[in-house]
Amino acid sequence: MTDTTFRFITDRYPELGKGPIPSAPYISPEYYEREKEAIFKKTWLHVGRVEEIPKAGDYIVKDLECANASIIIVRNKKGEINAMHNVCSHRLNQIAYEKCGNTRKFACKFHGWAFDLDGNLTGVPEEECFFDLDKKDHGLERVACQVWQGFIFINLDPNPSESLEEYLKPMFGCIEGYPFEKMTAGFSWVSEVNCNWKLALDAFQEAYHVAYIHGLSIADAVEKSDNGTMPPLDALCGEYHRRLSLGGNQKSVYGNPKAVTEGGAAAEEALSEAAKTRPISAAALRAAIGSAKHDFPLDALPEGMNWTKSPNWLFDINVVFPDLYLSLRPNYFQCYTFRPTAHNKTRIECRVFYPEMTTAGGRFFLEYMKVALRDVLLEDMSTVERTQKAAETGAKKFMLLQDSEILVRHSYHAVERMLNKNQPKASAEELA
Amino acid sequence: MNLIATLNLDNPVVQLPEAFASLQPFVSLWALDTETARNVQRHAQPMEAIRAFADTMLANMDELIAFVNRKPMSEFDEVDETLLKLLLSLAEVAPAVEFYGQQEVVWGFDPRRFVAEEDFNMKPKF
Repeated sequence: MTDTTFRFITDRYPELGKGPIPSAPYISPEYYEREKEAIFKKTWLHVGRVEEIPKAGDYIVKDLECANASIIIVRNKKGEINAMHNVCSHRLNQIAYEKCGNTRKFACKFHGWAFDLDGNLTGVPEEECFFDLDKKDHGLERVACQVWQGFIFINLDPNPSESLEEYLKPMFGCIEGYPFEKMTAGFSWVSEVNCNWKLALDAFQEAYHVAYIHGLSIADAVEKSDNGTMPPLDALCGEYHRRLSLGGNQKSVYGNPKAVTEGGAAAEEALSEAAKTRPISAAALRAAIGSAKHDFPLDALPEGMNWTKSPNWLFDINVVFPDLYLSLRPNYFQCYTFRPTAHNKTRIECRVFYPEMTTAGGRFFLEYMKVALRDVLLEDMSTVERTQKAAETGAKKFMLLQDSEILVRHSYHAVERMLNKNQPKASAEELA
Repeated sequence: MNLIATLNLDNPVVQLPEAFASLQPFVSLWALDTETARNVQRHAQPMEAIRAFADTMLANMDELIAFVNRKPMSEFDEVDETLLKLLLSLAEVAPAVEFYGQQEVVWGFDPRRFVAEEDFNMKPKF
């Protein structure tokens, strides 16, 4: 699939150019205001997994400062998932205070107005004292809400220009069928970070940093070329979305994605070096082989996974525009959102989902993998606040990108593209 | 041996079977309920204590895994739970021992600002 007539991946995307990228989009409050109006209020935003609200009345509340909204996502009695603004029809109070819960109805704590799980107004104390009040006209404001592969998305545009499926299919139709629903053991971390949302996302959408920033932890898990570099297997850039495929060192516990669910030769390979150098990681893998509740045969994965068909494939990064990062391995996946709360503040929510383990040895392995991941995330996040501060000095108006950072380059262009589509105005270059 | 274990009378320490007697001194420090508690403990303990814990766990690993894997986690009693919690703490200290040679992630983001959602409803029971 990779066209070998091109020396660089970037050669295949001439519309992205090879020049420096402006720093203004990371530090400009005006640019962020445009992003709020033209992106976060206009496109599909990921808000959770269907498994988080399995029963009727289960709900989560998402505060979306980037769209001046607080949204309730709730499963109704028919099993459908609804999204509505967390704003009472009476005196505008928030009707849900907790970030998640289960309820038969939403009752406002101010005057007791009650709404059902579809947002219909069902109860008004002293209703006879209001003037021409027709309850059916005064439900909660509904928000477009659709589900793709168990991922719940909302769209604050009252009339979304395309369905969620139309939005995702061109880039991600080829990974539909990934066994998301079998990954039911989930862990979540949240952090409020002082940096622009794109700057945080950028730290995750290239592997150039792995050899350096992860030099002590998982650099040994990524496949190296003969000259010691870690180029991606390939990258795909769409209109807004993007993908990156990475190879792994099969002789490492973290870098051999098949070891725990396949056992046998894959596990032997992963253990061959780990047993000597990292005995805890080796012990965790050995304790877990055969413990996963499901099998995850590589050949059952959808065709879009490991699209270069590399025998050393480790995982694919999928960036769903604007701010969802999905990293898919054959037997677990990571789901991060980088949601702005201000032009230089971001709420980073990192989640990882594994198959349930049937034994305590398997649970030990999950904890090993999860803790290693968490510490690697602490490495990833170690630069972002300093980079933000440095960028805000204005000393540099542009940054330089190499070929394997093509997703960072594409990210800039995708943001510009949607800004210009939904709200044409001054470009980032002019702001710079 | 740590003294805290013998002094903590309010919260009696689970007694491990004779086969795991060498792990008994670590129960009061490392048999903890949450990732947050385990991470805090990792940063509170000296590396010497962390290495002693890891070494003792590794020395007992085969027997330990055979013991906890003998029945499903849904049937765990407090001894099984305690041994599993020790294994989870071993996972917590693994990067300190095998990646960094110190408790903290080297040049890492502050773990106290990267908050584990202990009430996340897809989190496994243990």
